[in-house]
Amino acid sequence: MFEHEDDVVQRVIEQLRRPVAIDPALDARVMEVIAAPRPPTRAIWPWLAAAAVLVSLIMWRPWSRSFRVEAAAFQFVLVAPHANSVSLVGDFNDWDPKRSPMRTANGIWATVVQLAPGRYRYAFLVNGVEWRADPGAPAVPDDEFGTPSSVVTVGGRGS
Amino acid sequence: MGIERVESSDAELVRRIRTGDIGAYGALVSRYRDRLGRYALHMLGDREDAEEALQDSFVRAYRSLARCDDPARFGAWLYGILVNRCRTSGARAARRRRMFVRDADALHGAARADQSDRLEWTDAVDRALARLAPESREAFLLKHVEDLEYEEIAELTGAGVSALKMRVKRAREQLQRYLREAEHV
Repeated sequence: MFEHEDDVVQRVIEQLRRPVAIDPALDARVMEVIAAPRPPTRAIWPWLAAAAVLVSLIMWRPWSRSFRVEAAAFQFVLVAPHANSVSLVGDFNDWDPKRSPMRTANGIWATVVQLAPGRYRYAFLVNGVEWRADPGAPAVPDDEFGTPSSVVTVGGRGS
Repeated sequence: MGIERVESSDAELVRRIRTGDIGAYGALVSRYRDRLGRYALHMLGDREDAEEALQDSFVRAYRSLARCDDPARFGAWLYGILVNRCRTSGARAARRRRMFVRDADALHGAARADQSDRLEWTDAVDRALARLAPESREAFLLKHVEDLEYEEIAELTGAGVSALKMRVKRAREQLQRYLREAEHV
């Protein structure tokens, strides 16, 4: 005979709360991955990229019309008169604050980055600790890291 | 109890990592490995998938450490990354239609007759848990097994507190029903 619902659920909870031993070797695997220099691409990616370019060429027929897919310069601006430092971080620079430090003139911080067509999430890191979304751009609705970020979409034609 | 602030050493370790001491991250991995691993294992129902999700979460957290606003709450922040990672992994697993496999520790003990009742119960619980909808399983585990407050779960999952309470309630009712069914098979 089954006991009362609360007792059953309580037994389930007790069962699930039992400690679980995860392979301690996982620690070494994690440390190995983070210590290794990050290759820019995996070996298969050049082939995928080449295939994508080939498909694009066939579909877009660049020889029959004027069209180029290339990175273009985009300026990012944040007004932060009291900040001591601001960095632009996003998908395009691996969220590394050292790669896109911003320069200021009268509290207006700006930097220019080259972006190929695509969709990028980004944010501003103020004083090395404060995370700010771009007030002038759409916010990322469900950022997995729990910090505000914005999104920019760079189109393929004339953006 | 919930996701508590772990003394000041999480913050201290994060500070050391940010100044270039990569080795300090090993202490954080070791500290959170088993607890987060338990959530991943129950959520995904497969040890290999769980360890992959856990490893990936640790790596992603390290590479995004600049985005951890409150280093003293590193654990809560890491939980959020794992919860999201498990959602992705769970969706992939569902597409692959993988069979739910119980914890390997339980399998090792399956031959022992004196543990047969406990194993039967363990197996029934695992199977009942696997039948829950992912969002109900997630809410139930975070509330009752990981002991988080509803507000903390809402922060991690992006769901509202009322919706979470409904999910937990539904999960409790379904677990009861599934286990009753298992008893009569």
